[in-house]
Amino acid sequence: MSLVLARNEWRRQFARPLAWIVLAAVLGVLAYFFLLSLDAFLRLMPKLAGMADAPGVTDLVALPLTRALASLLLLVVPLFGMRALAGDLQAGTLALLQASGLGDTRIVLGKYLALVGFVGVLIALAMTMPLSLGFGTALDVGRLGACAFGLLLFGAALAAIALAASAYTDQPTVAAIVALALNLLLWMADAGARYEGVSSTFINYLALPTHLEPFLHGLVSSVDIVYFVLIAALALTLAARRLGARRVRG
Amino acid sequence: MPSSPLLQLKDVSRVLAGRTVVADVNFQLDRGSVLGLLGVNGAGKSTTLRMIAGLLAPSRGRVSIDGRDAFEHNATRGVRLGYLPERAPLYAELRVIEQLQFCARLHGLRGNAAAGAVARVIEQCGLGDVRRRLLGNLSKGYQQRAGIAASIVHDPGLIVFDEPASGLDPLQAAKIRALVRELGRERALILSTHLLPDVEACCDRVVILHGGRVRHDGALRSLAEDGVLRVVLDGEPDAAKWKTLTSVQSAEFDAGAWRVRLMPGASVAELAQAVLRNGWGLRELRPDAPDLERIFLRIASADGAASSEIVAAAA
Repeated sequence: MSLVLARNEWRRQFARPLAWIVLAAVLGVLAYFFLLSLDAFLRLMPKLAGMADAPGVTDLVALPLTRALASLLLLVVPLFGMRALAGDLQAGTLALLQASGLGDTRIVLGKYLALVGFVGVLIALAMTMPLSLGFGTALDVGRLGACAFGLLLFGAALAAIALAASAYTDQPTVAAIVALALNLLLWMADAGARYEGVSSTFINYLALPTHLEPFLHGLVSSVDIVYFVLIAALALTLAARRLGARRVRG
Repeated sequence: MPSSPLLQLKDVSRVLAGRTVVADVNFQLDRGSVLGLLGVNGAGKSTTLRMIAGLLAPSRGRVSIDGRDAFEHNATRGVRLGYLPERAPLYAELRVIEQLQFCARLHGLRGNAAAGAVARVIEQCGLGDVRRRLLGNLSKGYQQRAGIAASIVHDPGLIVFDEPASGLDPLQAAKIRALVRELGRERALILSTHLLPDVEACCDRVVILHGGRVRHDGALRSLAEDGVLRVVLDGEPDAAKWKTLTSVQSAEFDAGAWRVRLMPGASVAELAQAVLRNGWGLRELRPDAPDLERIFLRIASADGAASSEIVAAAA
């Protein structure tokens, strides 16, 4: 049943111009960034040829692109997810889902699957840019795979945060702003600590970049996977509980 | 063992923002009956319906559907509840047929069963001409019909309609009344409405809510007094001539018609024969219709014990 809901959400998302505009804008910005990085790499190539352990195209083109994509996801996922539940609350369509006996957990899961699907499509389309370099040069495909996997986990955690924010209000714009604030808070949670040179405390563990960076360097660690899964699970639980609380509190 | 009613509300109360919106509501409903839920704005109708649909938990008491608590998420799945809130829950960016297909799948219908169900409700609700139109671009009337179609696409056993005829023109409203009567033949149906003619035309039972409490619950017919007839005659009214008939206990002239109370044991046929025999120009003879509007307004405008006395007297 959650899949039926996810499919409907997917159809509705692409029936609105917002999804297309956001996809086009993000891919346009990334394409420009990709071309700039590629141009810089081509200019540096003669110098790199003389170096013993020179960074390759994956380091100098693909990695900056995935970092740029991660930064854009912080902004874009709240936009994708802001209507997920707030839109239903505003339009009264949540009654349709709740009266069907679907259950709050399945409603949240259906919405979440659709949202993760959009994020997945965005990441897949963006990753075609560095992959296209494979036609002309040798790429570190394993590292690119780890990058894509890390970005997907990162995006899935952001999607859950957006969904939770969307469950607490019937104003999609408010949901987007709250989700963005939470994203930025988690992104910069350890900024102060790092400024002081501290890098292995609990506050560092809480920050999103601490767990995304290893993936970008090709390191897939269970600690980082668990971090993203925990964030998603916590946010989804809060969203489902909020829907349940609405029935009790009115 | 006696089977439990399809829908039962037992001592149901609901407090919202510190105010008791619904208080100690009790009624039950079985398949094959249409219950009209009447009440002024703020009487607690929509809150009661939301509790039946499982969207709101009662503060006290229990709403059970087929013996199971309606607040448990899966309770409504077995019976298949069809709920149409006051504002039809439609996705403006979907086409009519897409919304109906989604609702069918949401209730577990697949393949040919889903396609057949969608075709059936499109026909029932007269949506054939707009099936490919976006819901957001439809008129209020068509949106309401699409909402009704979406709420019955899965052939529910219990249907809850909150103001289904709101925004419809008289022709569309008549079609919806016919649909409600048809649906109520084999299902349990609750119709909440402000339109008293809708209740008179569709319902065989009426519950009147006022101030969150049930002020009347009974068959629509019980609102009328037994043995009282409405008679319309040609010519000038003359109260004295009724006294010549042995079958008549009393008669009074009211709003262009006679309200005639028969003697105990006297039949309507006896009265009709006597009127014809005397050549009084009989134009109309029927049971005194339940003046639902009069009773409803008296309940709605009365308070506390006074209104209870009125209901007791009316019933």
